[in-house]
Amino acid sequence: MTKFIFSRVAQAVPVIFIVITLTFFMVRAAPGGPFDADRAAPPEVIAALNAKYNLDAPLYEQFFSYLGDMLHGDLGPSFKYPGRSVNEMIAGGFPVTLELATYAILLAMLIGIPIGIVAALNTNTAKDYLPMSFAMLGICLPSFVLGPMLILIFGIWLEMLPVSGWGQTPGDKILPAITLGSTYAAYIARITRGGMLEILSQDYIRTARAKGLSTPRIVIVHALRGGITPVISFLGPAIAGLIAGSFVVESIFQIPGLGRFYIQAAFNRDYTMVLGTTIFFSVLIVIFNLLADLLLVWLNPRLRGGKS
Amino acid sequence: MSTAETVQVESGSSLWHDAGVRLRKNKMAMLGLIFLVFIAVVALLTPWIAPYSYEAQDLYLGATPPSAEHWLGTDTLGRDQLTRLMYGSRVSLMVGLVATTVALLIGVLWGTTAGYLGGKTDSVMMRIVDVLYALPFAIFIVLLTVIFGRSMLLLFIAIGAVEWLTMARIIRGQVLGLRRQEFVEAAISIGLTRWQIITRHLIPNALGPIIVYTTLTIPSVILLESFLSFLGLGVQAPMSSWGSLISNGVETMEEYPWLLVYPGLTLSITLFSLNFLGDGLRDALDPKASKD
Amino acid sequence: MTPTYFKRISLLLIPFLTLGLMACSKGDSKSQVELGNEQSILHLGNGTEISDVDPHITTGMPEYHIQMALFEGLVAKDPKTLEIIPAVAESWTVSEDGTTYTFKIRDNAKWSDGDALTAQDFVYSYHRAMMPALGNQYAYSLYILENAEAFHKGEISDFSQVGIHAIDDKTLEFKLIAPVPYFLKLLDHHSMFPVQQKTVEKFGAMDERGTKWTRAENFVGNGAYTIKEWTPNKIFIAEKNPNYWDADNVSIQQIYFYPVELATTEERMFRAGQLHMTNDVPLEKFAEYKTDAPDMLYTAPYYGTYFYRFNTENEALKDVRVRKALAMALDRKAITERVTKSGEVPAYALTPPDDYGYKALAAIEYNPEKARELLAEAGYPGGEGIPALELMYNTLESHKKIALAVQQMWKTELGVDVTLQNQEWKVYLDRERTGNFQISRAAWIGDYLDPSTFLEMFVTDGGNNKTNWGNARYDELINMAANTGDLDKRFEYFQEADQILVDEVPIIPVYYYASKHLVHPSLKGINTNVMDYKPYKYMTLVPESGAAE
Repeated sequence: MTKFIFSRVAQAVPVIFIVITLTFFMVRAAPGGPFDADRAAPPEVIAALNAKYNLDAPLYEQFFSYLGDMLHGDLGPSFKYPGRSVNEMIAGGFPVTLELATYAILLAMLIGIPIGIVAALNTNTAKDYLPMSFAMLGICLPSFVLGPMLILIFGIWLEMLPVSGWGQTPGDKILPAITLGSTYAAYIARITRGGMLEILSQDYIRTARAKGLSTPRIVIVHALRGGITPVISFLGPAIAGLIAGSFVVESIFQIPGLGRFYIQAAFNRDYTMVLGTTIFFSVLIVIFNLLADLLLVWLNPRLRGGKS
Repeated sequence: MSTAETVQVESGSSLWHDAGVRLRKNKMAMLGLIFLVFIAVVALLTPWIAPYSYEAQDLYLGATPPSAEHWLGTDTLGRDQLTRLMYGSRVSLMVGLVATTVALLIGVLWGTTAGYLGGKTDSVMMRIVDVLYALPFAIFIVLLTVIFGRSMLLLFIAIGAVEWLTMARIIRGQVLGLRRQEFVEAAISIGLTRWQIITRHLIPNALGPIIVYTTLTIPSVILLESFLSFLGLGVQAPMSSWGSLISNGVETMEEYPWLLVYPGLTLSITLFSLNFLGDGLRDALDPKASKD
Repeated sequence: MTPTYFKRISLLLIPFLTLGLMACSKGDSKSQVELGNEQSILHLGNGTEISDVDPHITTGMPEYHIQMALFEGLVAKDPKTLEIIPAVAESWTVSEDGTTYTFKIRDNAKWSDGDALTAQDFVYSYHRAMMPALGNQYAYSLYILENAEAFHKGEISDFSQVGIHAIDDKTLEFKLIAPVPYFLKLLDHHSMFPVQQKTVEKFGAMDERGTKWTRAENFVGNGAYTIKEWTPNKIFIAEKNPNYWDADNVSIQQIYFYPVELATTEERMFRAGQLHMTNDVPLEKFAEYKTDAPDMLYTAPYYGTYFYRFNTENEALKDVRVRKALAMALDRKAITERVTKSGEVPAYALTPPDDYGYKALAAIEYNPEKARELLAEAGYPGGEGIPALELMYNTLESHKKIALAVQQMWKTELGVDVTLQNQEWKVYLDRERTGNFQISRAAWIGDYLDPSTFLEMFVTDGGNNKTNWGNARYDELINMAANTGDLDKRFEYFQEADQILVDEVPIIPVYYYASKHLVHPSLKGINTNVMDYKPYKYMTLVPESGAAE
């Protein structure tokens, strides 16, 4: 197991290096620069700014000096926010997004997995259709629709919860977490249902049933382990994606998270910020995918090499 | 698991025949199928049956609730919503269908190959997926539009390029579990090639998750389309799509709720239909279900 | 419009969520605005997250809204009449020839750390603003000072040759290259605000961008407020500066600026009692507030123009008749009344009327009949044979709507089919800059109240011209206007320049902007004006009588 983890960490190095290289050249190739504005700045001002940020040096030179700084843990200054460093922006935004994503994913699992199990145990009956339809709402109402709807209902008509903010007024974390979590709840419910059905028809479950074991026992002890496999495969990238994808929810609810920086950096052509957040994001992907794979192996002993 | 079952999977015709019978028995799946066929027919015939032109405006009419002239009301520029919804379904269904197929083909092949071959090949293939995951999508799209201009083909490629990643991971996870099972080992012992094993044994057995995830990919593709048109890729105003109708409808949901409700309902019913059909297909195609 | 229809549908969802939320519903019923009224805290929506507060670096409006609280220039504007009034300078004199200005700085003018604010501080600030390496985008506006241009372009390095001098601690003298009448107005621009040498240089060189001197813990300014907290994308808190010379007249203790990018989110925050004033009003909400709560809606014509640029090197568009035909076929009234609907005014010339002296006499006719004739003359009767045209705009719902309306007007009136092309912001800027467009949407907001801030844009090869159009007479007029002290003459030049733009149509003016805000009744002391100028020192919070219960 340690060997597995070690090899995966070793694999992460080229992954991240390739991501940096591709991103570096992609963002430079995109039209428009960080200092292009509605009101065109005089050429001498642009020249001064390019000199200040070393943007007038040959591209390969910039690339290597960036790599050098990065290895020392310095992701450079933001171009859009001159007084701030990328490190600082990530350090400020990430905890917020992580908290939001954690609530969302917990909520999604708490709702999604039970619904998926109940539906799988009662295929093609009302106990299948009703919970699954409820979960489907999460897909039919994407966050940019659900968010404003929840705000209108609970923030404005019922005046129960704040309409925006994060940790500023009590209860302001509820609506964003629901909004972000609902789509994932629907995904998890559907994937759980599919995975469980797969397992429930397998021989060892039939054997267990034949032995007369109770349904909860079969589900929890035997079926869940295998049935949840696709959910885990989905969750690895989903958690990482949730962090980047919280942009919409963060914008609707005025949340100072990393998702907004990540998306806006691309629109602002804030080169260092794009690179910094992308590197950070790729590290997260590597970590969560590794965790997902570890979980898969742990849940599914057959993967460990020997035959079951 | 018995070898008899392996044989059954190989004899495709009886599998498809049984599946067809089982699918027809599933009422929800059939309802879903009927609705999908209906909406596809409407989409196909739209240019001939749409009540108005999709771009015709009536600025002085503005947004009006459903009425006899405009069954689903009009938008803020006085355009007929039913017409725009019908044209939108052409775009959205096509994007949903084509882009999902692209994602499906790449994702399934990539995932099964990586999962079955394992070892170094698996590592390299999955690390490529990781790299693609991490690249900033918005910049990628902007570059695509700059290099190739605005075309529908590009839209499918762009969507397919992101949507296959999760598919590949899920399938790989599934195949990892399957490849140690007896029927695969039996297939190896018969002397089947890797390609035959992948296409005839692994993919059919991973069909459940594939179908489920496909039904989940379609809505995200349909909504992704409106984000891509924000970046300047894909359909261009005044042409409409479900995604753009919904995101515009949200802005005015208090003033003109019909601009959100009808596109939202259309999308929702379509998604429900897809899911019931997907579940029905999944159940019908389940190679083990026949034993029950 | 009542939301019953939608309400009924969403009510179905309520039972699912209500139970879970009961436990966590808000304990006290007082809104943030009501609490703010008690504690003297003003809650403001402020558009996008600010890039910085350094007045010599930033260029945007959200930044300016905060800088207005943190800094003060030599002069300020009267919030009602927009006339120039004393600020840091208590008085000034102008030489007979109009090229020497001498300012007397108040004895009690201080920095927020208590140090005296002197004439040398202003010399230092303008020196810094002109340092080439700092990259101040507004440095050019100081070129009216003697030798300033040479200094900024690195031709001379001795700043004492530039036309700004401290005669003594409290006397400041400017030497201008021409008797420009808008000089005083310029001094209220944010790039003319002073910065403190001690503070700036504690954190870096004079001309170093992006140092930490603007952080809450380091910041020293000279405005009515200073920084208490600044958390990006969350909040910017300004608190009253006790060392401000006019602190006795500053009523509100703290201002919370929220970077709310989405106007719809902002409006919901306002409705939920989380904001005293918004930065904008969503398009579809404007009419609703206008009829239901007109006292909360503050709106006024704004000193900005929305227009379309032509690329005059395009095959079809190089013919002035085609450009004119397109311009004449636009029903601007329909656009402002039925599409933008928020108090905008149809524009028939580039420069907006400022109500303080200048109003463009030139006007593009709305005359579809004549437009068709012109188009036929140009060889495209009924739009036949015209090469494909594309209208480019940056992605935004409101730009799209206007473009759609324009597209229809050209199609129905002229038979000209134009395709629309939305682009992501930076791509749009890049294409405009490199001339890779045919027609593109554009906008310009005046920096200060003078027609030159609009008309200078279209001098031949000007950085913001972007139309490939140029006219020798036009350049001459702009140049003459810049060098005369005769106000009447100046306006005559501007009138002629506006007329040239109408005759040659390198651009189509569409409408003049309107500023719009939602204001809570407890916030008093706000005046609407054409610059949307709202200094915080005049604002007060007066809780509504009886509403508190």
